[in-house]
Amino acid sequence: MGAVTDDEVIRKRLLIDGDGAGDDRRINLLLKSFTKWCHSPGSPEEGFTQYQRMLGTLAQCEFSMGKTLMVYDMNLREMENYEKIYSNIEQSIMSAHDKIGECKKEIQRAKRIRKNRQEYDALAKVIQQHPDRHETLKQLEALDKELQQLSHIKENVDAKLELRKKQFHVLLTTIQELQQTLEIDEKSDSDDHSQESPAENGE
Amino acid sequence: MGPVELLHMSVFSQSFSPCGRFLAAGNNYGEIALFSLAAALSPDATAANQKPVLTFTAHEGPVFSLLSTDCVLLSSGNGEVSSWSWTELTKKNVKPLWTKRPNYKSGLEIPEINSMVINPRDNSLAIGAGDNNIHILDLEHGAFKATLQGHTDYLHCVCMREREAELLSGGEDGAVRMWDSRTGQCVHCIEVYKYESCARPRYGKWISCLTTDSDWMLCGGGPSLSLWHLRSLSPTSVFPLRGCQRQAAFHQDMILAVGEGAFVSHCLLGGEVKAQIPCTPPSLNTMQLNTKSSEHRVLTVGGGSSNIDVFTNLSYRAFSLSF
Repeated sequence: MGAVTDDEVIRKRLLIDGDGAGDDRRINLLLKSFTKWCHSPGSPEEGFTQYQRMLGTLAQCEFSMGKTLMVYDMNLREMENYEKIYSNIEQSIMSAHDKIGECKKEIQRAKRIRKNRQEYDALAKVIQQHPDRHETLKQLEALDKELQQLSHIKENVDAKLELRKKQFHVLLTTIQELQQTLEIDEKSDSDDHSQESPAENGE
Repeated sequence: MGPVELLHMSVFSQSFSPCGRFLAAGNNYGEIALFSLAAALSPDATAANQKPVLTFTAHEGPVFSLLSTDCVLLSSGNGEVSSWSWTELTKKNVKPLWTKRPNYKSGLEIPEINSMVINPRDNSLAIGAGDNNIHILDLEHGAFKATLQGHTDYLHCVCMREREAELLSGGEDGAVRMWDSRTGQCVHCIEVYKYESCARPRYGKWISCLTTDSDWMLCGGGPSLSLWHLRSLSPTSVFPLRGCQRQAAFHQDMILAVGEGAFVSHCLLGGEVKAQIPCTPPSLNTMQLNTKSSEHRVLTVGGGSSNIDVFTNLSYRAFSLSF
């Protein structure tokens, strides 16, 4: 207590008496009137009135003290309330941060999906330019069948040609043989004739 | 850099650092500039943050191609490839780790290197060179392993098809060739200009931009930018973009393309052009997305001016870095 300087005391007193002129003065006056009343030689009525007056002042002091206590309580509760709001806001900031991170990831994912879709579209465009596989297969089958038919016909025609060739060959050889036989006969006939005529001429 | 040189500057290549905080850009004077993205994107960035933190002359000729691996930056210029360590570059130390030259047959002219790509499976670098060949450099041993021959004119672009371990290359002769990276044989050859839907005879037959995501391929240049399905080797969509496209990329569900014209085109896989976002250079040569970093996820484009536009949101240009 002795270490507290005068300045501190003055500062504290000024602080305490800051809210309304007179609380401190009231207490001092009460103290003075109490000592005066204790030492006063006056009549009992005066003493009684002074006593009543002192009680009134005391009541006033108690009232103002009660008021200050209530204000203090209120301030404490307000502080708590603000603390709560502060922590709520901090939490929502954190969750907003998290949500932003999530959204960024979502955007990356969506961009990738979009890129894949576009690649798919680009390829699909190229593929569409080529004709349908089923149609091409059907065309191939039809062409195959036609090819088979045509080769079949070709075989038939070839066989017929061979047959005809052989028949003609037989016919021609027969004719030639007949021709040869006829020539031989003619020759032998003319020989016979020429043999007979010199024989006739010789006689 | 006088004002006249700045006026004539073109940015040909860009690459992000492995940590994603720096951007390296190469221009036609052979310089590489390093920009700090972390500083330029911070809330209290000033105009000074949009200037490079380091500019150095890397090659004698234009730097047509820049590529980043986990710890080095590879740059190409005047027929040679140089390697720079990223940690050294951030400390402003501009000594290259090594400089190599592929074995060119013709001794007289110096073929330029237009494009490079890394094959992560066997840690090799495929270099598309102006002598019509692809040179494969083994990054572990530092020796040239193989030369893929087949193109009849110089190469514009190479890219890697990860899943099937194939290399795709596009060149001035209008052919897109697919090479098996293990055997070095040319597996397929697509002559894009022969397809009626893509061909634009008045622009020519050269292929200047090629990109793939293993199933699909985007290619364009003289012919229109078109989306190809690689399994069936058929064009599925043709994009009605005027001008020749120089770089294209797949991004989420969209296709981004840059080329002639002061805009970045956003297209859908179906063939529609969704949006064309304007930007400062009059025509664009290079476009890069910073996929390695999560907080500096930007798209940067550079082209026929000394400005590199930075897009923090794909829908509009945020600001420009300048040489």
